[in-house]
This record gives sequence, structure tokens and C-alpha cells, in this order.
Amino acid sequence: MSLPITSIASEEHRTTAHLPEPTMHEAMHASPPEKPAILAPGYGPLSFVAPQAGSYRLPSFGEAPNGEVLGEDGEPWSLHDAYGDKVVVLSFIFTTCHDINGCPLATYVMQQVQSALQRDPKIEDSVRLVSFSFDPELDTPEVISAYGNHFRSPDSDWVFLTTTGTEMLQPTLDAYGQWVIRDYDESGAYLGTISHILRVFLIDKQKRIRNIYSTSFLHADTVFNDIQTVLMQPDP
Amino acid sequence: MHKTIIGLLSFLVLLSSAGVRADETCMSPYMAKIVGQEDYVYIWTLGMEGVGDGEDKLVTVDVNPDSESYAQVVHSISMGGRHEAHHSGLTDDRRYLWASGLDTSKIFIFDVHTDPGKPRLHRTIDDFVATTDGIVGPHTNYALPGRMLITGLSNNRDHGGRTGMAEYTNAGDFISSVWMPTDDNLQGAIKSGNYADGYGYDARALPRRNALVTSSFTGWNNYMMNLGKMMGDAEAMKRFGNTVVIWDLHARTPKKILDVPGAPLEIRCAWGSQSNYCFTTTALTSKIWLIYEDDDGEWQAKAVADIGDASKIPLPVDISISADDDHLWVNTWNDGKVRLFDISDPHAPSQIFEQQIGEQINMVSQSWDGERVYFTSSLLANWDKTASAEGNDLQYFKLFSWDGKTLTPEFSLDFVEMGLGAPHQMRFGAHALYASQPVPSKTIAQTEH
Repeated sequence: MSLPITSIASEEHRTTAHLPEPTMHEAMHASPPEKPAILAPGYGPLSFVAPQAGSYRLPSFGEAPNGEVLGEDGEPWSLHDAYGDKVVVLSFIFTTCHDINGCPLATYVMQQVQSALQRDPKIEDSVRLVSFSFDPELDTPEVISAYGNHFRSPDSDWVFLTTTGTEMLQPTLDAYGQWVIRDYDESGAYLGTISHILRVFLIDKQKRIRNIYSTSFLHADTVFNDIQTVLMQPDP
Repeated sequence: MHKTIIGLLSFLVLLSSAGVRADETCMSPYMAKIVGQEDYVYIWTLGMEGVGDGEDKLVTVDVNPDSESYAQVVHSISMGGRHEAHHSGLTDDRRYLWASGLDTSKIFIFDVHTDPGKPRLHRTIDDFVATTDGIVGPHTNYALPGRMLITGLSNNRDHGGRTGMAEYTNAGDFISSVWMPTDDNLQGAIKSGNYADGYGYDARALPRRNALVTSSFTGWNNYMMNLGKMMGDAEAMKRFGNTVVIWDLHARTPKKILDVPGAPLEIRCAWGSQSNYCFTTTALTSKIWLIYEDDDGEWQAKAVADIGDASKIPLPVDISISADDDHLWVNTWNDGKVRLFDISDPHAPSQIFEQQIGEQINMVSQSWDGERVYFTSSLLANWDKTASAEGNDLQYFKLFSWDGKTLTPEFSLDFVEMGLGAPHQMRFGAHALYASQPVPSKTIAQTEH
């Protein structure tokens, strides 16, 4: 199903377009559709000269909350253990997300950050990427792990997490202010889709949130600069 | 599985229709928008001595014509005194409404998601001045990702116009503050004209240009003074802002200070992806100003139109830009009129419509489809008119329908007669924003720019 839409922020402003419905293959590779009518800035080159890393402050939002999670092997883990002693880029996603400017954007940008880190071995070991599913019903450890294998390079530090169910998941979502609405049909059957606002978190080694990105702000260049800034400024 | 949900999930999209033109009164773009019928309007209302309990209130009016309580006040929560209720803003997830008081510098955070028809006070920030190292008069409550940007109007040193901005987490915890650039401390900004006054008022962001734009009004000494007294005080009249500042949005550092003399107030930026400009209006000189990035990437400011007869001090207040960037509503408080400007050429706006709304007018808020236009009347407690030639048209909340040519009255609520006070800023609410059942696809969409 395609919905007629009008962008208010894309190159196609004032034109009617159709929201591309990515196939599972497209979603898994988090790549832009062939004829993108509407794409978030994170899919293209940055349209401004970003402030130089370390030339600005990233004050703390406070502690990044802890929570119970499952690793890709299905073993219980704490979120803080998953962070380890690294600077963390954390995104909340679900693997069946079809909104090209939602979860696929987050994963696409994290893939670009992964590439940037691999080009900079001095800081690569200091950074971990974490993708956390908020759909435990469908994203079992096996599913989230297979999903992750489509995106991460063999040697990269990128972990994918899920939970056993709502009881384990909800406290973490609440703590991060990541509210979601699960979509049901009129008979109450889960549609496999979740309404949410995209948020990606930058967390320092002391487990403090140092930045939050939404769709308009999420770009690999600025995230990478922010990672460097946090490493240069451990005390916000 | 292949059902595409466009509700809150979708980004950057707005359901297509010929009527798409408005912007829910130019709220922060980083949030879900109500693109269908709004259910409620939340009205941040000043308390008035001798009117009801005299306290500031958040008043909720049912505006859904399909509701049995349509056009009625369905909820009101009093704030335990008067704080100079002024502006309000929703968080990016639209679950909380932040409403601030210019006098006491308190910020009230209301939960509007648990029961959109009955907002409840969730948290009060009562240490804003101390926490921000002296910023007074929290004005604009503007959503950024996971946080709120609060602009100030004044300071606790001299209660003049020098001020700053602060950021809080959505939960209400302080993050940081920054002062506006002044001649004494430009903070690296370029002073492009005659002024670097350090005053503040409104703020809007253009993330694709990494720009934050701020305007400048006046300090506590003036906005809490009787209007007639102030107008007769030559020294006081000198103490109004004359600047717009362009900031590096990511770094939160000021880049360029532009001369915009005469108290530039509300800032509204164009929606178009190639439209790197914003509008503001100057209260004292009654002009529309264009703040724009030129072909060389330099931000500039220039006066592009007159609003009424400046010699009669119409005093432009709230403005609203349409989603197609073609029209700008402009309210002028002193004559109680709304004017519509064609801004399809942003460098040469022209007035195409004018209508009397009341004895005085301040805020304007449109439904996303542009078919419903709401107005309120109050500016500031000590500036509002106290006598009306028409009798009872001083403090109101009014709905008009707009067909592109005519504003037709739908209903009007007299806030004094109802014992409520002086209505100021309006924000919309809708049950569909928080639905656990399928969201009607023509009700809401998330939009950013």
C-alpha cells in the first residue's frame, strides 16, 4: 500500500509523491529507495559545515538509565554491561519497521558511523554501537542477531539487543522517554507495526547521555564529530 | 505486515490534500502534528483580579464539532496565583505541555497524554532563575530532540532586557544555559550593524542549515509596567530589543547579530526545503522583516513590508506562516485586527485581507488544513485594555472558519464573563496522538524540517 504524501522538507516540496514501501530486502540493507521522494538528511551529504569536533560543548542530560535486556545469544544482560566502558551510540528500532526515515535511517546512519570509525582506528576501540529492539514479540534474539549481521562489519563493535517481552522492555523505554504505540487492527490483532518518534542517543563512558538525535538531526558526520567531542571532553 | 502506518511513525510526511496550508501556529517542527480535526485547544490564561479565583489557568476547550461538549470549557486547572502566564509549548513527543510565567519565572509541565481532555500538572520548575544563573522571564518553550529550549526575556541583576536561553530534558531537568551576545561579550559572534543588545524573545531552528534564530523584546522592568506609564517614559522606551541573532544550532554559539530595530517578536521560518528564510515583525515600527540566507550563504535582515499605519502603533504581535510558505497571518494587538499577507515573494509581501476580530487581539493558531483559525486576546496583564467601546469583546477565545476568502465566526467564549481570565497562547490536543488502537490516517502525521 502506498499513501499519497506531500513532503514539507524534501526536495519534492509542494509536489505529491508516494511513500516508498521498502521491501524487506531494502529495509534490511537500510539503503535509500531507488527513487526517494522523501529522505531524511542523514541519507545525503551534510548540507552545512559542521562545527569542528571539540570546538563546542555537549552538556550532560544526566545518567543513561540501566535496564534488563537479552543479548543476541539469548542470555540476560544489563544495558550498562552492554555499554561496557565505551562511548555508545544507542538507537531504538524494530526489524520490521518500514518507515524509511525511522528505524532504517537509524541503522543506515549507524552503518556510516561504523565505516567512519573503521577509518579512524585511534578511536574505534573506544566506541560501541547498540541497536535495541522495542518489538520483543517479533524480534527474538535469533531475529535481531540475523538482522544485525546484515549491517555490521566482521570486526566492528555493534551489538543488537532485545527483551523477553513488555515486562522487561517497558521500564527501559520509560526511562529513556522512548514511548511507542503498538498498532492493532479493529479485532485487536497486532499489526506488526509500532508508532514512535525516532531517537538516537549518544552516551559517554561514564554512562551519561550527551546528545539526542531525531530524524532531522541524525547524520553520521555530526554523530562522528560528537563522538570525538565526547572523547575529548569526558567531563561535560 | 505490509500495512504502512503513517501515524506517529512517519517522518517528514504530511497527508496530501488541497487544503494543506497551515502549521498549528508554528510550533516546533520536531513533533507529531495534528493534520485532521483537533479535539482540544489548551489555552494558557492569565489570572485577573476579581475574575473567578484570580489565578493563572490552563483552560481546555473542546473544539471537535462532533463532540457533545463542543465549544465548551471542559477543564480548567488553576496555578495557585498569578505568574504572568504567557507562552507554552509541547515536547517533541507531544506528551507534555510546558507553560511558563514571565513574572515568577516558574515553568509548569502538564501531562496532556494520559487524558488529553484533562491535563494535569506533572511538575513545576520553580528554580529557573537560580539554575540558569540569573535568567528571568521564561518565554518560548521550544521542542528540540528530547529536550526543551527556553528563551528568557530578562535577568535578575537589573531586570532589564539582557538575558539568555536554557535547555532542559523533557523530564524537566536542567541541562545548560547560554547568554545572548552583547557588546561586552560577543562570544565570537559578528556584530553586523549597530546593536548587540543581548535581548531575547523567540527562537526557531532550521536544522538543515544548522541555524537557530532568536529575536529580542524587552526586560521585566518594562513588560511588568503599566503600558501607558511606559509609553510616557522616554528612557523605558529606549529599552527594547533591536536585534536578531543567528546561532550555530549544533554548537549553540552565536554567529551573527543582525540589526532589526523596533522589538522583533515572533519568528516563523519557511517550510520549503530550499527556503532558507524566516519572518519576524517589529512591534514598535510595525514592519515585516525577512531574515534570510543570501546567495553567498550569509544571513541578512531587511524590512520587506509595512503593517498598517505605523504612526497609529497597531503593534503587531503573533504571526503564522502557511505550510506552502505563501501566506502570513499577522495580528495587530492595538487595533484588534488580523491581516493576511501574500508572501509568495518573501522579499515583497503584500496585504490581501484584513478583518476586525476584537477590541484587542494577540495570538493566532490555525488547524493544519487551514480551515479553522483560533484567536485569543491577551498580551500582558499590565498592557491589556481594561475598557471596551464594544462592551464585552476584550478577553476572548474565538474560532473562525476560513475558506480562503472569508473568516466566518463559529463560536466565541468570553473569558471574563466565564470567570477564567485573560487568554493567551493556544496549543492543540487530540486523542489520536496517544491512541492504542489504529490511528485514523488522516488525523496525525509527524513532520520535521
